[in-house]
Amino acid sequence: MERGYWIKSKPVYNALVWHEKATAHLVLAQNQGGLAVLKLFQQMQPQQPVTVIYAQHDTDYAKTLKKVVPDGLDVVSSEQELLVSLKNIMPSMRMGLRVYVAGSEGFIWSVAEVLKTFGVEEADIMKELTDTLARTIYCVHCKAITHNITTNIGKCSGCARMLFVRDHFSRHLGAYMGLMIDAESPGELPEIEEIYP
Amino acid sequence: MALNFKKETFREDYTYSNSDAAIKRFPFPFPEDQYMYSVNIEPHTKGKQGSVCEFTFDIDEHYVAECIDKKITLEQDPGRYQALPHMMDAQWDFVELTMGALAQDYPEHFTLQKQGLIWTWENKPLGIKDTFTFGDTSTLAAEPFDYIGRQLQGDFVLLDHRDETLYADAGIVTSQADWSLAFNVGMSWREWHGPVPRATELGVMDRALKYLLNLQIGSPVRRLNWTMTVNPRLDTSPENYPHWGSDRNTVNAENIGDLVHLRVELQTLFRLPRSNAIVFSIRCYLINLKDIAIYPCWAKRLHRVQKTMHPDLIEYKGMTKFHPMMVDWLAKFDDGETLAIGTQPE
Amino acid sequence: MTMINVKVAAIEQVTPLVKHFTFVKEDGSSLPAFSGGSHVVVSIDIGGRVHRNPYSLMGSPMENEAYHISVRRQENSRGGSVFMHENVTVGMPLKITYPMNLFSLAKKGRKHILIAGGIGITPFMSQIADLKRMGANYELHYAFRSPEHGAFAAQLKESCGDHLHCYIDSNATRLDLQALLSDQPLGTHVYVCGPSAMVVATLETARNLGWPENHIHSEQFLSPPIGEPFKIQLARSNVEIQVSAEMSMLEAIEAAGVEADFLCRGGVCGRCELDVLETDGALLHNDHFLTDSEKASCKKIMPCVSRAKGERLVLDL
Repeated sequence: MERGYWIKSKPVYNALVWHEKATAHLVLAQNQGGLAVLKLFQQMQPQQPVTVIYAQHDTDYAKTLKKVVPDGLDVVSSEQELLVSLKNIMPSMRMGLRVYVAGSEGFIWSVAEVLKTFGVEEADIMKELTDTLARTIYCVHCKAITHNITTNIGKCSGCARMLFVRDHFSRHLGAYMGLMIDAESPGELPEIEEIYP
Repeated sequence: MALNFKKETFREDYTYSNSDAAIKRFPFPFPEDQYMYSVNIEPHTKGKQGSVCEFTFDIDEHYVAECIDKKITLEQDPGRYQALPHMMDAQWDFVELTMGALAQDYPEHFTLQKQGLIWTWENKPLGIKDTFTFGDTSTLAAEPFDYIGRQLQGDFVLLDHRDETLYADAGIVTSQADWSLAFNVGMSWREWHGPVPRATELGVMDRALKYLLNLQIGSPVRRLNWTMTVNPRLDTSPENYPHWGSDRNTVNAENIGDLVHLRVELQTLFRLPRSNAIVFSIRCYLINLKDIAIYPCWAKRLHRVQKTMHPDLIEYKGMTKFHPMMVDWLAKFDDGETLAIGTQPE
Repeated sequence: MTMINVKVAAIEQVTPLVKHFTFVKEDGSSLPAFSGGSHVVVSIDIGGRVHRNPYSLMGSPMENEAYHISVRRQENSRGGSVFMHENVTVGMPLKITYPMNLFSLAKKGRKHILIAGGIGITPFMSQIADLKRMGANYELHYAFRSPEHGAFAAQLKESCGDHLHCYIDSNATRLDLQALLSDQPLGTHVYVCGPSAMVVATLETARNLGWPENHIHSEQFLSPPIGEPFKIQLARSNVEIQVSAEMSMLEAIEAAGVEADFLCRGGVCGRCELDVLETDGALLHNDHFLTDSEKASCKKIMPCVSRAKGERLVLDL
């Protein structure tokens, strides 16, 4: 990427830090995101109630989390289960709730989509990117969403076109734009390289 | 003045053309020999008689053909219309603004009769006549913005004003210069303008936003933007890029004058009263290089502007493949004469 | 700036200190529609000096035959409100700006808590019309000094029913902000308009409870404060202007015949911002627009409400 070039729609992720001002805290993590939660608990723990939901997968921080998180820890076995638990607890949450998410980009935006339906805006969610840089791609031609693209060019799961993965990101769709790479010269593909491992 | 609506196409056989009068009123966008991206916003006040700024919304000889082309695009891809639920007030504001302006400016073609909230709208060129209750969506066959957006040339985006910025929360977009409404819907000003090179670093977008946040009811503004398009195609969307992208390969020294079109957008912005939203109207005008060259000062000006264009902008505007050929083609019209600042054809 | 010519159609004394004015278009045509929370700037000529003050529109945004504003009489001010109370009569022509909104409802909000103190009720009158039309979930919390100062309380009771909660100082009923804001559903927005102490308390309480900044809305128009006289130089216009004690810098610039941008004239919208080229003294920033660091930089000033101390202030105008 060119120096000094930045597309402003591309999300920026940070390391999780407790919000000082809140009425309650909700922490959602997946896989390697468990380590981000452990780091969070290295900081001074907040006064307000904390709920943690952790989806373990191939990496497992559940055992350590159980030791560190005083109470309010829910360990589930998949992202889907986590989203179900989330939907169950959200109706009782009130203004002043602060939300923290750690996991892959796909996970972060799946969580954000659920939270949006409960009135929590994406901008107010603290996000830490862990696991993989793999991208979710929206095919601008056929509108299909393709997950886990790790290369500069990926194949659309809907129309099978080869899509160039742009840095342009839609928070509404939770995906980067994929644009047909060889529309001007059909069949001419640049080298496909892994850049989002 | 009664308009003579042409039968023409903007796809496949491309029968689109400009009459002599349309060429003469073309909104040529280059007042100087060098182009630099700028805000260049001015009040959208009544322009000279016959000019594209004479009225609030310009209706010209291409009106009926453009509405037919818009219908085809929307049928093929309903995603070209988007409206988030909180934009309904803005939709009705848009209906009031556009119907009111058309009926006032082109009474021989459009009429609007109001009896309290019961409105009757007649669009003679398109053969439409409907009675509905203003503010009651169930009385129209489509959402209000969709309904009237189809009866206007150009694209429209409704911007919601909140959190000190503007969000593109509704749109009807079928003649865009390569951006996707379905992808951009819901984006904030900064996200939406993310991919414009050299503009952000100049702070142009921040300044424009600050200006627009204070845009007032009754004081609309306008600016011109431009790009180049191969063939007189309105729908140069990223959605259909697989269909038009390879057109760029068909340009050669013989056909460039016919094929390559200057595409000018007359962008106007209006504050809407009830919703406090802003309408961003993008009206597209197309003219091929041959027709530009009818007026020597335009050909000279375009030559100088293109010759000194920044490489990033050549790339951004999708001109890379034919740009050197275009500069060569235009060079033969340029004798180096000093041109006064301005965009007049003569 | 495009102005609308109106005339005063009615004046009503609503409380001992508040008068309600009804404006209609001078030519009898309709006024522009507007959105809840909008205000207009009213121009009045007092002894050859033009005062321009912002007032919230109180009527229903759906009604475009007339505009309604209410003015509280402020004794220790520069005379605008006193003039409105004593000299403006029915039939008098006035000039107003088009409505503009710096206090709009968050249309995506799931619930709206409106908190008004005294005359701060005015912007909520039009917002309530919008909320009712949209069928939105809302509560109006209205605090005032004593029953006779509760302008519009009866009218509000009728239109808002159970949504209205009144707090009357003289009856020792008080609004508990902490309790109110600590138990609201997600997606709630809070709006406050009233005396400075109430606005500050609401903003602080919401922030301390962890409400996101874009869920907290306030409106507080400032009147240009009275201060020491000072001098300014306008670099591009090449003039020196004396700003008297009871005049704002913007008014002094206008009186000198120099055209300057403005919209709200209350230190909120940012339109009149000027670049400071040189200064030898302190800038007395009174606006809500510039950030603290911008204020500290002494590079920008809002002439509608801010003043200066010192011998030299050169502005880029």
